[in-house]
Amino acid sequence: MTLARYAVLAVPVLGLIEAVAHVVFSRSPPELEEWREARSLVGELKEPGDLLVVAPRWAEPNARWALGDPIMTLRDVARPDESGYPRAVELSILGEQAPELRGWNVVSENSRGKFRARVLENPSHDQVLFDFTDHVDPRHASAFEVKGSEAACVWKDNLKSKSGGLGGHPTFPRARFDCPGGEFFFVGVTVIDDHEYKPRRCIWAHPVSGGRLRIRYERVRLGAVIRGYGGMPWLLERSKSGAPVQMNVLVDGRSIGSYEHVDGDGWKPFEFATGAADKEATVDFETSSANVAHRHFCFHADTR
Amino acid sequence: MKRTGHLVDLALGLLLGVSYVVLLVSTVESLGYARDEGFYFQAARAYGGWFDLLFADPDAALTRASVDRAWVTNSEHPAFIKSLFALSHKMLHVEWKVFEEAGTAYRFPGMVLSGMAVTVTHLWGARAIGRLAGVVAALLFAMLPRVFYHAHLDCFDMPVLAMWLVVAYAYWRSLEPGSILWAIAAGLLYGLLLNTKHNAWLLPPAIVVHVVLSRGTAIWRDFKRGRVRVPLALFTMATLGPLVFYATWPWIWHDTGARLAKYVSFHVGHVYYNMEFLGQTYFEAPMPLGYAWLMTFGTVPAITLTLFVIGLAIWAWPRGGQKLFRRLYSPAPKTSVEASLPASDARPLASQPELLWLLCIAVSYAPWLSPSTPIFGGTKHWLTAYPFMCLFAASGFVWVLGRIRLLVPAAVRGFGVAEVGLLSSVIVAPILITLESHPWGLTAYTPAVGGAPGAATLGLNRGFWGYTTGAVQGVLNETAPKRASVFLHDTAQQSWAMMVRDGRVRKDLRGVGSVHGSTMALYHHEQHMSRVEYQIWMDYGTVAPKHVGTHDGVPVVMVYSRPEKPAR
Repeated sequence: MTLARYAVLAVPVLGLIEAVAHVVFSRSPPELEEWREARSLVGELKEPGDLLVVAPRWAEPNARWALGDPIMTLRDVARPDESGYPRAVELSILGEQAPELRGWNVVSENSRGKFRARVLENPSHDQVLFDFTDHVDPRHASAFEVKGSEAACVWKDNLKSKSGGLGGHPTFPRARFDCPGGEFFFVGVTVIDDHEYKPRRCIWAHPVSGGRLRIRYERVRLGAVIRGYGGMPWLLERSKSGAPVQMNVLVDGRSIGSYEHVDGDGWKPFEFATGAADKEATVDFETSSANVAHRHFCFHADTR
Repeated sequence: MKRTGHLVDLALGLLLGVSYVVLLVSTVESLGYARDEGFYFQAARAYGGWFDLLFADPDAALTRASVDRAWVTNSEHPAFIKSLFALSHKMLHVEWKVFEEAGTAYRFPGMVLSGMAVTVTHLWGARAIGRLAGVVAALLFAMLPRVFYHAHLDCFDMPVLAMWLVVAYAYWRSLEPGSILWAIAAGLLYGLLLNTKHNAWLLPPAIVVHVVLSRGTAIWRDFKRGRVRVPLALFTMATLGPLVFYATWPWIWHDTGARLAKYVSFHVGHVYYNMEFLGQTYFEAPMPLGYAWLMTFGTVPAITLTLFVIGLAIWAWPRGGQKLFRRLYSPAPKTSVEASLPASDARPLASQPELLWLLCIAVSYAPWLSPSTPIFGGTKHWLTAYPFMCLFAASGFVWVLGRIRLLVPAAVRGFGVAEVGLLSSVIVAPILITLESHPWGLTAYTPAVGGAPGAATLGLNRGFWGYTTGAVQGVLNETAPKRASVFLHDTAQQSWAMMVRDGRVRKDLRGVGSVHGSTMALYHHEQHMSRVEYQIWMDYGTVAPKHVGTHDGVPVVMVYSRPEKPAR
């Protein structure tokens, strides 16, 4: 009974605990300038070809600011997934771990200040033989609008880039295959936001009205599969009001698989067996839709 | 003697309120102009022009053409507060030059009304509970981080809170015998509340329920006798209120029915905007039913919430709370805490403000019991509940103080050890959290969810309205090339224009709405707007921002500069 009288002291104690907790929580993460310290830590561990992942993900802009493009390339930051990387460096604060690297084997670990860096190896790494997104250029690819006859999309590398801004379309790149039908009809590399609002670097392949858009790659080194992802800017997809988009994948003119993207699918994977590993072949991606309005279809693909 | 005591309370309340306004004015410079503020600047300018005409040529101003031309601007919201913005700008910036910044002059009425809310919270607490309780209530209220943020703005959220509070106070005072003036004041003020924001529609139900519950069975007795006795304040609110509303909103002087119907339908069927909650962006119904509760938990200091719960429990104890507790825990022995709670309350229900406070809290939160109510404005939607929660908290404070005083040795009890110690311990966290939240008010969260970093990890919204441009104005001024065009992202052009006009950003900088062609780009982080940052990456050829505006290490606003040579 006597002790219970003191229970009321829990109130001022709570007040003080909250004050201390505020100070601890607010001072725990590194401030922006402190992120410069991470440079040397990453520099010691990261080798060419390694992926750099920041945990928690919300801290990534600070890392991009501190480490810059040479270490955090657009290709890595807006990657399709992690499966193509043999190794990763996880740069973390607050004791967080990157969920996408769960199950990877820890090779080494180092800490400096408020940062911890771990080198991890991918236990199920698939070597990428040919990355289609990396080769959207006239040396490797061509594009056509197919409506009975073929109309070539013309490669231009000095166009004005164009972005939709608040609520608008992804950036139309300066270098792209310009197709007939207007500015939305082209083949080029851009970045879309997926269903988790993550960045995805991909090949813009807006289907054409009343026909097919064909993207052709010559002399592609094949593996066992062609695999990848399809998606659309989530803002468009999430209202689930557009027509499905079909993408047919052909090797040397033979269809090896068909992918359908229905609104709401998000960043959806596909994988087709090539049936012809270790050889070079012509690969076509053909997109179409019954109604092409707002079909900002974009895909990534590679061979493994 | 009692009158002197009330005057002291009034003086103390004014001191608290004025101090709050001084604090707001002294911290306003680093807070960028929010998106909606830009629209209200524009509206206030239009109304200001009409006021000028009214003073110069009343006949011309009162023609339908003049009225409609001016007041059609932003007519989806009523006019009282925007009229104050306009008059404040005219008097305090243009004519008397009290404020160098036009934006601060526009914002000033909101700050004054916020200060008034602090004063009224104190007065109510002091009168209903005691002077110290009044101080505690006012301080806890003033030191709510989201209240502090919104109190700076030329928006309606704090004004509607203040007007709601003052109407409820006037109504409560009118219940005292012979308080006709308070009843008239309640009616007049309710008219202004109606003309502040549509939250006003929720107050009458609270008051009607208060009347019914506080009268109890007497209502039925009167009813059987064919008499209905309604508090005079309710009558004045129903009569004077609409008259004042009509008189002070020129837009509804013509086509009244149609324009009112449009106003109501705009808010009843408001479009859904995006809001992140627990890592998911909600943009259409159903909205998460836990939103209001978790956001309150995560943005109101835990000590304030704890005191609120204690205050509510003490009041509820003799009114069914005790029965409920014994039913749930019948085998439990009676604890000392339980024994110290009041077994009954001799005050007539009508004179007890707690029922009214509870009803005001309930109706303020009620819309978020429906999954179809939008959540895009975050906590600002139910701010009106907060002064009442703080009044309950003050009641809880007094109860805790009473118990702690008993633990203090009698020899030192008279020196205020318990009072100072308890007050310091309960106010230190709210003060720290609130003052350190500035100028990142919407990113700030309490330790209950791990502060701003914890909230970011949980996937709680980090901000909206693009106001954090103000937090990086120095970076823009220092690093932008001459005559640079700056992609503003979520900052409204009108808000940017005000920043230029006020000299916050260089006059040679040009705000633009598209990424392409811009030399610098802002990105205000919101989950659903991530794509805008991706547009910048592609267009600028870099993923590395030139600067990141952070709060407690959490990125909020990114500044990109177009490299001379893209990285890729």
